Amino acid sequence: MKFDLQQWINTGRLKSPWVAHYDCGSCNGCDIEVLACLTPVYDVERFGIINVGNPKQADVLLVSGTVNPRNRVVLKNLYDQMQHPKAVIALGACGLNGGIFQEAYNVVGGVDKVIPVDVYVPGCPPKPEAIIDAVVVALGKIKEQLEKADRGQAVNG
Amino acid sequence: MVEFLVFLCVIFPVLAGGAAFLDRSNALKKRLVTVTGGVLTLASIALALRGGGSIPFSSALAGAMSTPIHVLDLALLCLIAYIGWRRSHRLILTLAAVQLAGMFVLGSYLHPEVAAEAPAFTVDSLSLTLVLVVSIIGSLIAYYAIGYMAEHERHLHLVRTKQPRFFAIILVFLGAMNGLAMADNLSWIYFFWEVTTLCSYLLIAHDDTEIANTNAERALWMNMAGGVAFVLALLWLQSVQGTLSLTALQAMARSGAKEAAFLLPVVALCIAGFTKSAQAPFQSWLCGAMVAPTPVSALLHSSTMVKAGVYLVLRLAPLSLGTTVSTMIAVCGAFTFLVMAALAAGQSNGKKILAYSTISNLGLIIACAGINTPAAIAAGMLLLVFHAISKGLLFLCVGAIEQKIGSRDIEDMRGLFQVMPKTALVTAFGIVSMMLPPFGMLLAKWMALESSVEASAMPVLVVTLALGSALTVLFWGRWAGILIGSLNPRLELAPETQEATMGFAVRSLTIGAAVISFFAPLLYLWLVEPAVQAMFADVSSLSFNGWYGGVGNRYGIFAVYPLYLLIALGFWYAWNETKKHAVSGPELPYMSGVQAAQNGTIGFIGPMKGFVEAKGGNYYLDAFFGEGRLIRPTNYIALALFVMLLGGVLQ
Amino acid sequence: MIAKLFFGLIGLAVAPVLGGIIAGLDRRVTARMQSRFGPPLLQPFYDVLKLLGKRPSAVNAWLVLCSYLTLMSSALAVFLFFFQADLLLIFFVMTIGAVFQVMGALSVNSPFSQVGAQRELLQMLAYEPLIIMVFVGIALKTGSFSIENIYALEQPLLFSLPILFLALGVALTIKLRKSPFDISTSHHGHQEIVRGLLTEYTGPQLAMLEIAHWLDVVLILGLCSLFWSTGMIGMLVLLAATYFVEMLVDNISSRLTWQWMLTRVLAPTMVLCLVNILWLYTL
Repeated sequence: MKFDLQQWINTGRLKSPWVAHYDCGSCNGCDIEVLACLTPVYDVERFGIINVGNPKQADVLLVSGTVNPRNRVVLKNLYDQMQHPKAVIALGACGLNGGIFQEAYNVVGGVDKVIPVDVYVPGCPPKPEAIIDAVVVALGKIKEQLEKADRGQAVNG
Repeated sequence: MVEFLVFLCVIFPVLAGGAAFLDRSNALKKRLVTVTGGVLTLASIALALRGGGSIPFSSALAGAMSTPIHVLDLALLCLIAYIGWRRSHRLILTLAAVQLAGMFVLGSYLHPEVAAEAPAFTVDSLSLTLVLVVSIIGSLIAYYAIGYMAEHERHLHLVRTKQPRFFAIILVFLGAMNGLAMADNLSWIYFFWEVTTLCSYLLIAHDDTEIANTNAERALWMNMAGGVAFVLALLWLQSVQGTLSLTALQAMARSGAKEAAFLLPVVALCIAGFTKSAQAPFQSWLCGAMVAPTPVSALLHSSTMVKAGVYLVLRLAPLSLGTTVSTMIAVCGAFTFLVMAALAAGQSNGKKILAYSTISNLGLIIACAGINTPAAIAAGMLLLVFHAISKGLLFLCVGAIEQKIGSRDIEDMRGLFQVMPKTALVTAFGIVSMMLPPFGMLLAKWMALESSVEASAMPVLVVTLALGSALTVLFWGRWAGILIGSLNPRLELAPETQEATMGFAVRSLTIGAAVISFFAPLLYLWLVEPAVQAMFADVSSLSFNGWYGGVGNRYGIFAVYPLYLLIALGFWYAWNETKKHAVSGPELPYMSGVQAAQNGTIGFIGPMKGFVEAKGGNYYLDAFFGEGRLIRPTNYIALALFVMLLGGVLQ
Repeated sequence: MIAKLFFGLIGLAVAPVLGGIIAGLDRRVTARMQSRFGPPLLQPFYDVLKLLGKRPSAVNAWLVLCSYLTLMSSALAVFLFFFQADLLLIFFVMTIGAVFQVMGALSVNSPFSQVGAQRELLQMLAYEPLIIMVFVGIALKTGSFSIENIYALEQPLLFSLPILFLALGVALTIKLRKSPFDISTSHHGHQEIVRGLLTEYTGPQLAMLEIAHWLDVVLILGLCSLFWSTGMIGMLVLLAATYFVEMLVDNISSRLTWQWMLTRVLAPTMVLCLVNILWLYTL
C-alpha cells in the first residue's frame, strides 16, 4: 500500500510541475517568451504547468538573464527556499553564460555559477516551444533524481 | 443548614474582609484570602448540592441582618454623597441625595412591612448559578491577586502598602455579590447592589492616579443613575403593588398582572440592570474601569459584578413575559451585542477588547432574557457561566502579560509565544474557548441563535446576532493568531516561571474552561433546567433537553460529547504529528528572495544592504469600527431604544 | 441512527474524490472559457499527490498544526452534513477550520501571509452572517435547523427562499475565494500578494489545505442542494447551474477590494436576506 502511494506521488510529481520565474537582469526578451507560454496559444496548463509566484510552492525555477553580484544572493535564497525535489532551468544566452554581457564588470556569469542548473535553453530569446520542452526535460531530470532516491540515495543533495 | 451556608457565603467574607483591613502588617493576607476562598467554594458547592432553599425573615440570620442593612444602606448613601462632595462632583452628590431621599420616603412614609414568614433569601437554581460563579471564580481571582498585587506594588514603588484595603474591598465585594444573588427582598438586593457600586468605585480608583479617579467617578455616577432607577422602582412597587418581594411579584405576574403599572417598575429595574452591565449607552464606564489593577477588571468588570445586571434582568424576565417590554429588552440587548462587537473589532488595546467583548456578551445575555422563551433563558444562563470562566481567564492572562512586557496592546503581543510560551498558549486557549466549538460559549450561542427564531422581533434579532457573531470571530481570531506567532527564526522558547498564586488561578481556570465545557450537558440538566422550570409555569416543547450526551430541542441537537471527543482526538493527533514534524527545522518566510534574520528577528535586506525588520500590523478598520465613528450614533440609538422600552410599558 | 452514521461515513469517503473532480472540472471549464484546452480532469489530484511528496519544511510548527486542524474541521463538517445534523452546528464546526487557517498564517512574520490573513478575516466577516441568515431562513420555513426536516418538505426550498439562495451563492463565492472575492488568496494560475493566506503553507501542508478546500466545495454545494430537496434530477440541475454561474462569474469579473466587499456586497445582500426573511415571517 505504501509503495503504491509512493508511485502515485511520483506520477503526481511528473504531471504537476509548478514553475517560479525569476528574472536575474534579463532584457525582458526571455520573460516575454515565458509569458507567451501562458497564453491560450501555447496553453502550458495542458501539462499541469502553473506559474506560481512563490518559490516555496514551486518545483521548477526558471531563471533568465545574467547573474550579477546584487542578485546572486537573491537567486541563491530563492533556490534554497524551494522544497525538494526541484529543478532549475536557465533561459536564454544570458542565463547560460552571461551572453553578450559576460565580459561586463558587474556580471558574474551564467546561472550555474550560483546554483546547480538541470536544463539549459539557448536562444536570444528562446522560443516558447523550447521553454515548454525544457520543462518536460526538467521533469525527466526530476524523475532521474527520484529513481536515484529509490535506489537509496539522497534526493538532490 | 441552608441558613449556615448562606451565612458562610454572605457574612463570612465580609468578616474576613474586616480582618484583612485591620491586618496592617499584611502577614495574614494570604491565609485570609485562601481560607475565605476555600470556605466560599465549599459553601457554594454544598449549597448547590442541597439544591437551595428559602430563609424567612423570622430566622436568626435574617433577623440579625435586618437592622444593620437598613442602617448601613443609609450610611452607604451618605458615604457616596460625601465622595461626591469631596471630589466636588455635583452629579454624584445629586444622585446620592435623590437616592437618600427616596430611601427615606420608603422607610418613613411607606413603611415596607415584611411578614415574618416572607422569604429573606430565596436560593434557587438561578441564584445558585451566580453564587457558584462568584464564589469559585471570584475566589480564584482573589487568590491570583495575592501574587499580582505584590508585583503591582513593586512596580509602583509604593511607600506604604495599600493591600489591606484592597483585599478587604475584594472580600466584602464577594459577600455582597452572594447576598445580591440570594436575597429575595428588593430593598436588600438594592443594598447589596449599592455595596458593589461602591466597591467598584473604590477599586477603580485604587491606584489614585488622575485618570483612575476620573474613570472611577464616571463609573460611580453611571451606576448611581441606575441606582436612582432602582429606588424609583422600589417606591413604585411599595406604594402601588404593596410588596418588594421577588417571589410575591412573580406570583402576581403569573396571575396575569401585566398592566402598565406593573411593568413600569420592571422597566426601571431593567434600566438599573443595564447600567450595571454597562449596556449602551452606559458602556463608557466599563471601558474606563480598565485602568484598575487587572484582578479588579477580571473580578468586577467581567466575571462577576457586571453579571449582577444581567442576573437581575434574567430574574425579572418572567415578569414581562409576552409583553412588548420583553421584546424591546431583547432588541436593546441585541443592539449592544452588535455594536460592542464592532467596537471591539476596532481596538488594539487588549484590555479594551476584553471590555467591549464583555459588554457585547452581556448584551447577548440580555437579548436572551428578552426573547424570554425557556430555551433563550437557558442560553442566557449558560452564557453567564461560560463567559465568566473564559473571560476571567483571559483577563488574568492579560494581567500576567502586561506585567512581563509592560504593554496591553495586542500589537506588542506579536510573537509572545517566544517570550512567555505558557501564558501565550493559555491565552490562545482562552480565546479559542470564547469563539470555537466544542466549548460552552458556542453551545450557549447556538442555543441563543436557535431560540431567536421564535422571538417576536425575530428579523431584527437575527440580523444583529448574525453580524455580531461574525465580528466576534474577527477580533478574537486575529488576536489568537498573533499570540502564537514566532518572530524568531529559530524557535527558542524562553523558560517561563510564574508566581505560585497566579499560576494556580490561571491553571484552575484553564482546566475549568475545558472540563466544564465538556460537562455542559450535565450543567444544563443540573442547574439550568430547574431554573427554567421554576420560571415558566409551562415548559413547552421548546425547552432543550439533554440528549445523546448533548443538548437538543425540536430545532436541532448540539451533540457535546461526540463532538468534543472527535475534536479533542483530532487535536491530539495533529499535535503529535506536529511534534514529529518540528524536528526538520524551521526556515525563514518568503521575502522575495531577500529574507534575512538578525538578532532573533526576521526581516529582509533592504536598500544599501541594510537589514530591515519585517513588521506587521492588524487591520483595525478605523473607518468602520473606530470609537470616534461609532460611539455617538450608538448612544443616540441606545437612548431611542430606551424610549421605546418605556413606550413598551403602555402597550 | 446507524443508517445515518453509515451515510455520514460514506459521504466523508466520497467527498474528497468528488471535490477533486469538481476542482478539475472547474479548471477545464475555466480553460475552455479562455479558449484553452486546460489540464487533465485529474490534475488537482496530481497536484495534491505531488505536494504530499515534497520534503516538508515550515517556518514554524503552528503551520503544520493549523493545516491538520483545518482539514479535520472540514472533514468533520462534511461528515455532519451527510449525518444530517444541525445546520448551525455544521456552520460552527466549519468556522474552526477557517479560524485555524488564519491563525497559522498570522503566526508567520511575513508581510504576504499577514496581509492575506487579515483579508481572509474580512472575508469571513462577509460570508458568515450570510450563511447564518440562510440557515435561519431555512429554520423559519421548516421549523427546525435539522437537515432531516428539509427532506421532509414537499416543495423545494428554492420557491420560498429564492433571495436567500442568491445570498448563499454570494457566500459561496466569498468562502471559496472565487473572483471577484479572491482577495485573501487565489487559485491555480492566479496570484494575489504572492499567495496571500497560503504563502507560507508549503508541501504537505498545502496539500492538506487543498483537500480541505475540496471538502468545503462539497459542503457548500451540499448546502445549495438543500434548496431542491425533492428530486434528484432537479437537485443536480440546480447544482450544475449554480456552479456554472460561479465559474462564469469567476472568469468575467475582476478582483475587488475588501472595502467594496463589505460596503457594496455584504450590506445590500444582508438587506435582501432580511427582505426574504420578513416575507416568510409575515406570511
